[in-house]
Amino acid sequence: MRSARPPMLRVGSAVALPLHPRSLLWTLLLLAALLAAAAATLCLGRLGVPLPELAGALTGDASPAQTFVLNRLRGPRLVVALGTGAALGLAGALFQSVTRNPLGSPDVIGLNWGAGAGAALAALALPGVVPVPLGALLGAAAAVLLVTAATGTGLRHPGRLIVAGIGVAAMAAAFTQFVVSALARDQASVLAAYVNGTLSARSWEHALTIWLVVALTTPLLAALARPVALNEMGDELADSLGASAARTRTSAITLSVVLSAAAVSVAGPIAFVSLTAPQIARRLTRASGPNLVVSALVGALVLTLADLAVQHFPFADGLPVGIATLAVGGVYLGFLLVREWRRGVL
Amino acid sequence: MTTTTAPPQARPARTALLLGGALLALGGAVLLSLAVGSKPTTPGQVWAALTHTADPYIAAVVASRYPRTVLGVLAGAALALSGLLMQGITRNPLADPGLLGVNAGAMAAVVTAIALLGPASTTATVWWALPGALLAGLVAYSVGGRESTGGTVRLVLAGAVVSAVLTAYVQAVALSMPEVFDHYRFWVVGSLAGRGFDVVAAVLPFVGVGVLLALLLAGGMNALALGEETATSLGANPTLVRSGGLVAATLLAAGATAAAGPIAFVGLAVPHVVRALAGGDFRHRVPLALLAGPTLLLLADVVGRFLLRPAELMVGVVTAFVGAPFLLYAVRRMRETA
Repeated sequence: MRSARPPMLRVGSAVALPLHPRSLLWTLLLLAALLAAAAATLCLGRLGVPLPELAGALTGDASPAQTFVLNRLRGPRLVVALGTGAALGLAGALFQSVTRNPLGSPDVIGLNWGAGAGAALAALALPGVVPVPLGALLGAAAAVLLVTAATGTGLRHPGRLIVAGIGVAAMAAAFTQFVVSALARDQASVLAAYVNGTLSARSWEHALTIWLVVALTTPLLAALARPVALNEMGDELADSLGASAARTRTSAITLSVVLSAAAVSVAGPIAFVSLTAPQIARRLTRASGPNLVVSALVGALVLTLADLAVQHFPFADGLPVGIATLAVGGVYLGFLLVREWRRGVL
Repeated sequence: MTTTTAPPQARPARTALLLGGALLALGGAVLLSLAVGSKPTTPGQVWAALTHTADPYIAAVVASRYPRTVLGVLAGAALALSGLLMQGITRNPLADPGLLGVNAGAMAAVVTAIALLGPASTTATVWWALPGALLAGLVAYSVGGRESTGGTVRLVLAGAVVSAVLTAYVQAVALSMPEVFDHYRFWVVGSLAGRGFDVVAAVLPFVGVGVLLALLLAGGMNALALGEETATSLGANPTLVRSGGLVAATLLAAGATAAAGPIAFVGLAVPHVVRALAGGDFRHRVPLALLAGPTLLLLADVVGRFLLRPAELMVGVVTAFVGAPFLLYAVRRMRETA
């Protein structure tokens, strides 16, 4: 770490935010990339609105066909992808930061699959009784508790954490299979949605759910960013600086569970976005701490690009987006594992 | 795990008792597998059907459950033994053909073959499954299998990565060619339903050779459990035992997967139970696993038929739910250094 004080953004005497120029630069670049990916999502393909007409169509000057595409097909899908990717990126950044372990990510330890099982149960077994996001939340919480109990050492031991996560993920996936087989046996698309995660046929209601959760958690995240960053330096140091390590960990994991559950309840258990986004963000910014903003942007970009790929790649055409992230993220996880072993971390 | 404790002294009476009990349990599981289904039958009716004294309708109902029961026995024995061998070779209590990606490798190879060449006979399927299983196992082992601190976890993680990528591949292929894979929808999860005796006959030679090899290698595996040097000084050839065990484990896992699809956790759970019951001696553990594996798989299949009757739940789903807690249990018992 450099000893030079970072430049500060000051508003009056109340607000003083440290500025990390590299993070700022990447934030802007990622926003530009997101804009391009969003435009591509709306423009490409047979149904896409041609780029020159896009601005006009978005501001109300659209033909009925274009209105249908923007309002019903591509629009909600894009907005859900952005929100879900951001939520997954944030959840991963928080979790990886407090476990001090790139593999301590919600999708590696089975949290997303727990949420998926809860969502499937709420949607198929108790439709209308339990809202899907609540079911996902309960499932995710159950998964975290089960993993914590199985490790016996809380969430501190990376190896145990991950193996327990594999077991919990397998149980949750089996439970989801059971619920879907019992209640929606003939609907293969339902199975894909709950087992792999998909963004096809999303509505504005989904978009509202995910963005509401992201918006509501943003102030909490802002308040938590500093304690979480301190926590990375070790429990004792964090405690001595007045940020109780235990309390920080609990709050961060709770928020992470809420964000993952929201993401899963609108898009299903999408694999490995939580794992990859914070890692990419950290490499881009080279900043310590959870890198929340950049992680959220990378998450949104990764998911939007993956969704773009499954919509337009010749072989991937029409696949659930979760399969694409599973394949790409799986390779990345392998790369990450080998690197961690070389460093002797795991 | 308790790998540091020496194998306990052989207790023939206890082993005989265990084997007898396991045989009884297997007999019960077979009867249940023949009796439970969308048309429930009583054990008396099953017995009558077996002794050719039942009325033709009941006899036909029971007969329709023969293939899946025989397949359950075969696949259960193969998976349990495969897991036992893998745990012995890697000296890793978390080894399992499902967790190490071996089943996923077999499945990926089979799916590729079907996608390229169209539906094939089961025998051809097994021949495809073998290299896939071997390759996936070797990748997982070479990435994560080195014996050092943390090797236990590494192997499972490497297996999880291999499984994740291969599963994504299998699902992508299966979903993009629905007309080819409609028939395989249940197979992709692991199921004993809808297979005839031709499937059993096709995989029997592979499983048979695997079982024979395992029985022959049991003594060598005992020596191997004491460490490389001790094994050599005891007259065993560690390389031979290890490669023989790998071949046997692959044959067994590939055979089971080709017939029933990828079924995880049987290979993990059964060896743990067997070890708790019979101690460390492989000459006792191999036969006991041969009996306990089918019992677990058949019971899981029966539960799957019972839960959603008159429809049924794929057996792979049930074994994941029953077997995954064994993984959690093994995690709790892992040493701090692992």
